[in-house]
Amino acid sequence: MNFRPTIVAFLCNWCAYTGADLAGTSRMRYAPNIRIIRVMCSGRIDPTFILTAFQQGADGVLICGCHPGDCHYQTGNYKCLRRFKLISKYIAQMGIEPERLKLEWISASEGKQFAELVNEMTKAILNVGPSKIKSTLEVKHLKS
Amino acid sequence: MEEPRIGVYICWCGNNIAKMVDVEAVAAEVGNLPNVVLAKTYKYMCSDPGQDLIIKDIRGHHLNRVIVAACSPRIHELTFRNAVEKAGINPYLFEMANIREQDSWVHTDRSEATKKAIDLVNAAIHRVRFHEPLQKRSVTVDPATLVIGGGISGMVAALEIANAGKQVYLVEKTDRLGGHVARFDLTFPHLSSAKQMIHPIIQRVENHPNIDVFKQSVIRDVSGYIGNFKALVQNGQPEPLELKFGNIIAATGLKSFDPSKIEEYGYGKFPDVVTSMEFEEILASGKVLTKHGKEPRNIAIIHCVGSRSKVYHEYCSRTCCMVALKFVNQIRAGLPECNIFEIYADMRAYGKGCEEFYAESTHRQIIFLMFDQQEKLPVIRQAEKTDDCNMLIEMDEKLSGESIEVPVDMVVLMVNMEAHDDVKDVVHAIGVSLCGNQFFIEKHPKLDPVATTTGGVYIVGTCQGPKDIPDSVAQARAAAARILATIAQGSVAVEVTTAFVNEEFCCGCQTCIRVCPYTAISFKEDKKSSEVNEVLCKGCGTCGSACPSGAITSKHFTDRQILSEIEGIMSMSYKEI
Ligand code: FES
Repeated sequence: MNFRPTIVAFLCNWCAYTGADLAGTSRMRYAPNIRIIRVMCSGRIDPTFILTAFQQGADGVLICGCHPGDCHYQTGNYKCLRRFKLISKYIAQMGIEPERLKLEWISASEGKQFAELVNEMTKAILNVGPSKIKSTLEVKHLKS
Repeated sequence: MEEPRIGVYICWCGNNIAKMVDVEAVAAEVGNLPNVVLAKTYKYMCSDPGQDLIIKDIRGHHLNRVIVAACSPRIHELTFRNAVEKAGINPYLFEMANIREQDSWVHTDRSEATKKAIDLVNAAIHRVRFHEPLQKRSVTVDPATLVIGGGISGMVAALEIANAGKQVYLVEKTDRLGGHVARFDLTFPHLSSAKQMIHPIIQRVENHPNIDVFKQSVIRDVSGYIGNFKALVQNGQPEPLELKFGNIIAATGLKSFDPSKIEEYGYGKFPDVVTSMEFEEILASGKVLTKHGKEPRNIAIIHCVGSRSKVYHEYCSRTCCMVALKFVNQIRAGLPECNIFEIYADMRAYGKGCEEFYAESTHRQIIFLMFDQQEKLPVIRQAEKTDDCNMLIEMDEKLSGESIEVPVDMVVLMVNMEAHDDVKDVVHAIGVSLCGNQFFIEKHPKLDPVATTTGGVYIVGTCQGPKDIPDSVAQARAAAARILATIAQGSVAVEVTTAFVNEEFCCGCQTCIRVCPYTAISFKEDKKSSEVNEVLCKGCGTCGSACPSGAITSKHFTDRQILSEIEGIMSMSYKEI
């Protein structure tokens, strides 16, 4: 069967989401497997969101925020980075391959970088294959 | 909560979406989902008939939730929020799915793009079920305005506002007003005096009772939001001054590119290779002379210095071609015998009266030589004693296909306009974004070119991108008009997607207080609970994701809403695998 991965992405409104929009206005092409969810700041991304995405069957989760120093809310991206480090360790223990979770900084002008990032990540996930989390594991919601 | 009755509208955006996404299939697929009352497609949802369609359906079908799948919410979310509000629905019961910028424009497989659109609409349907009405909050507008930058754009904007009887604080980094224009001799295409134009403006600004000018000053610690900003002005005094204002205009301009980076041109090595800005000053002195005080017999003007180049800046600086032609006219007027070489890559004369000016200027006995900017730049070298000129330019002339040497005594480099080195300081202070060329990004490139995505912050003049004087002035007056309109209204609506603490769940750990960048959260000892000051909260949501007891809700970005969005995305794709 043809493997069509699904990547759930969380993008901050000010830089990353704008950068993804720019990829569109510049008619860049990238793999169609990504589904973007907009949050105001990468600091809003709760570990629960990431776990829920995996639990629901996402093959990858991508997080993009503003470059260090450029967060619209001063330091949200640093907080995001810290949470990302923690959650990376956690998902490793759950047996989720590291390729499946990625954090990158994308500025409002980096449409091209965004398109390349999506392509690279899609490729990496095609290599590791479908995620088995949904069928093997029930993630307990941290919050109900 | 009343049972959600959702109306879904899929926009074709002419062919922009419909070509890559089967909009009818999307409507058919989502039309039968729970709570979806109707799913329709329409050619242009943002048009008046498109909006009317929504308004009629809300009334006729008693919809209480609306989804539009179309362009980016950054473009039309507000348009549709206003439309649903007209029909009596709270604007926050609306949600948008981005199927253009993030779908039809970036994918090439129609069936994949259609599946993606279905997922995104489904995510919006799941999310909108949990939307809650939020009450708009409006704040009074401080009638004072801060203008950063005292060039022509900043001054014109300041005057426009001050003449309407409102206070302006004009902050200028250097010790004088006038910016680049004050250093120009004549302007194109009418060859009228820049000084005669700018000096009365400077005087009016300096003497205006409603304008406070701060020279050699920078702005720092900007805080607040539209209508109610404050900041410190630092100008060498030990105590910075605090200012309060309701709106901000950034008019920080651009600077000249440093041509010494381009080795071929020998700037800094040859004293008679000068930049266009330096040549303005030579012209203003009344006589064109070399560094040795001699009348030059050969002058070359090299275009696109640092512009339209893979190595330096890819963009066109827009004004240099016309400035070069202005130079040609001025040189010819003073030196009738001088050989003038226009060494250009492409001649761009798009402005009003500019093509005519170009045609006129070709009759001044000028030698036009073309070079290939992408291939080989002209190279300037010292001439030999026997050469009867000061320098020689070696170049491949594109039209004749010949390698030639051009004798010159003076070379003018038409330097690119580029961002100031400290542009990031301004960006961080006022909360605007930069494009790849380091220009400030406008709210909408066509429909809203002077506003930014930060309410109350406007950008005018060249800080938004290279432009000539008329365009800069038009932007300055436009921004001033926008600000005067908000001042006249007296109040503006502000974002209400702030954080909220549920006292019953708060465990009093105060984690939220530590992560909040705006000191918007405080601890209420009597209730043993955190409390959010809605005026200070900017709605970043970082407290919501840090709260260990789930007591904090980020309004309009609640856990429930985002988790539902994830479920919506996955509920369809999972079936396929
Ligand atoms: S706003 Fe982009 S990371 Fe905070």
